[in-house]
Amino acid sequence: MKGFSTKAVHGKALRKDPHGSLRFPIYDSVAFEQESARDIQFAFEGRKPSHTYSRITNPSVEDFEQRINLLSDSLGVVAVSSGMAAISNLILTVAESGSNIISTKFLFGNTYSLFEKTLKPWGLNVRYINMNDMDMLRNSINEKTRAIFLEIITNPQLQVPDMKEISKVAMEYSVPLVVDGTLTTSYIFKSKDFGVSVEVLSSTKYISGGATTVGGLIVDNGTFNWEKCPKLEVSVKKYGEFALVTKLKREVYRNLGACLSPHNAYLQTLGLETLSLRIDKSCSNTLRISEYLEKCEKVKSVNYPGLKASKYHEIAKAQFKDKFGGILTFELGDKEMCFAFMDRLKLIKRATNLNDNKTLILHPASTIFCEYTLEEKKEMGVSESMLRLSVGIEDVEDISEDINLGLEGI
Amino acid sequence: MIIKVNGESYFTEKERTTINDLLKEKKVEMPEMVSVQLNGNFVKRENFSATHLKENDEVEFLYFMGGGTQ
Repeated sequence: MKGFSTKAVHGKALRKDPHGSLRFPIYDSVAFEQESARDIQFAFEGRKPSHTYSRITNPSVEDFEQRINLLSDSLGVVAVSSGMAAISNLILTVAESGSNIISTKFLFGNTYSLFEKTLKPWGLNVRYINMNDMDMLRNSINEKTRAIFLEIITNPQLQVPDMKEISKVAMEYSVPLVVDGTLTTSYIFKSKDFGVSVEVLSSTKYISGGATTVGGLIVDNGTFNWEKCPKLEVSVKKYGEFALVTKLKREVYRNLGACLSPHNAYLQTLGLETLSLRIDKSCSNTLRISEYLEKCEKVKSVNYPGLKASKYHEIAKAQFKDKFGGILTFELGDKEMCFAFMDRLKLIKRATNLNDNKTLILHPASTIFCEYTLEEKKEMGVSESMLRLSVGIEDVEDISEDINLGLEGI
Repeated sequence: MIIKVNGESYFTEKERTTINDLLKEKKVEMPEMVSVQLNGNFVKRENFSATHLKENDEVEFLYFMGGGTQ
């Protein structure tokens, strides 16, 4: 199997199904019986390949992890309950009180909130820099830096950082590069090829197959030597290159209880099978809608890396080839115009999610970023006149017709 | 030669046993998924056939259930 779609459809079976089921079943069971007391001891110690308790391991979740592992050509994968669980589990595994991570303010609002409001009081320092400035990045790293964290396409600013340049610096200083690949997945951007150490994703978005379920992924590309991470010192000695995955599975993930349900794993595995088809359609729709919006007089500006006018077009082209994601933003006159436009839409849904099969619209400043002041929002690149459109897989003419209807009345 | 495998004494007749030999001899389940520790230290998969065991060595066969590891 070489092709992405073939791998996504067939996966790799660890065990033969006793009934020859072509689809891996939902093992909707909390506990798994062992043959003897010794067997259950060995299962707990990791000396026997058995599932014990679904908060820790589950066959349906494992099947999903194996497929992601195959598609990303990674070392190991841990599926979790959401994208935010992926980020929090990862940070809590590699960083400790008094240490720092380097990031940017151009982040998903809840990620910024996790850093500033949840983890900061526990002693994590986050240094926010301009990820296009490599000197600034170099100067921000010190002996207490545990990760560089950024999004492959920032949400909602839609900036596209130069991953090769950033990974060069990360390697130079032996700091793991952690990226949020929610908006790209390994179909658009194979992070391993760009020197990324760990990719975290919200599998709720593209992967789930149309907003079916909430889920997240932590993907260790196997490109980072975890001996360089003080918190993984003991784990490295015992588990070598699998230090991160094992520390997660046998401690952090297990203790935080951020497990993915077997039902969600099943639906997300199903979603994977059509991932490439849906991404192809949503990316081509997004490009056409962005070009359409550019021509609309009432639209002040359009931001989409697929547009030649975008500052990030060339780097996006180099990193993603001909697919630029399914999200665009555009500016109207002010917040009131944005609200009036949204309220006139008939087909496009007013909802907060990304990469659904349906086209969704959101006013980021009054929703995801509502907890921040105007000044903070400005720093995060979120204006009051910005609308975010997550373009679905409908017929593109119907989407543009609805946009036209919305614009006509404002 | 007597060694310890997963905490239990094990006698192997072969004098020059490698980790790969032991995996076959013990019919270890899902060998493509197993990780090996020798005397508390991780052994890389590519070194399984070149790592020879000696008297009193302690070998652990471990699985990271779930975790989608290669």
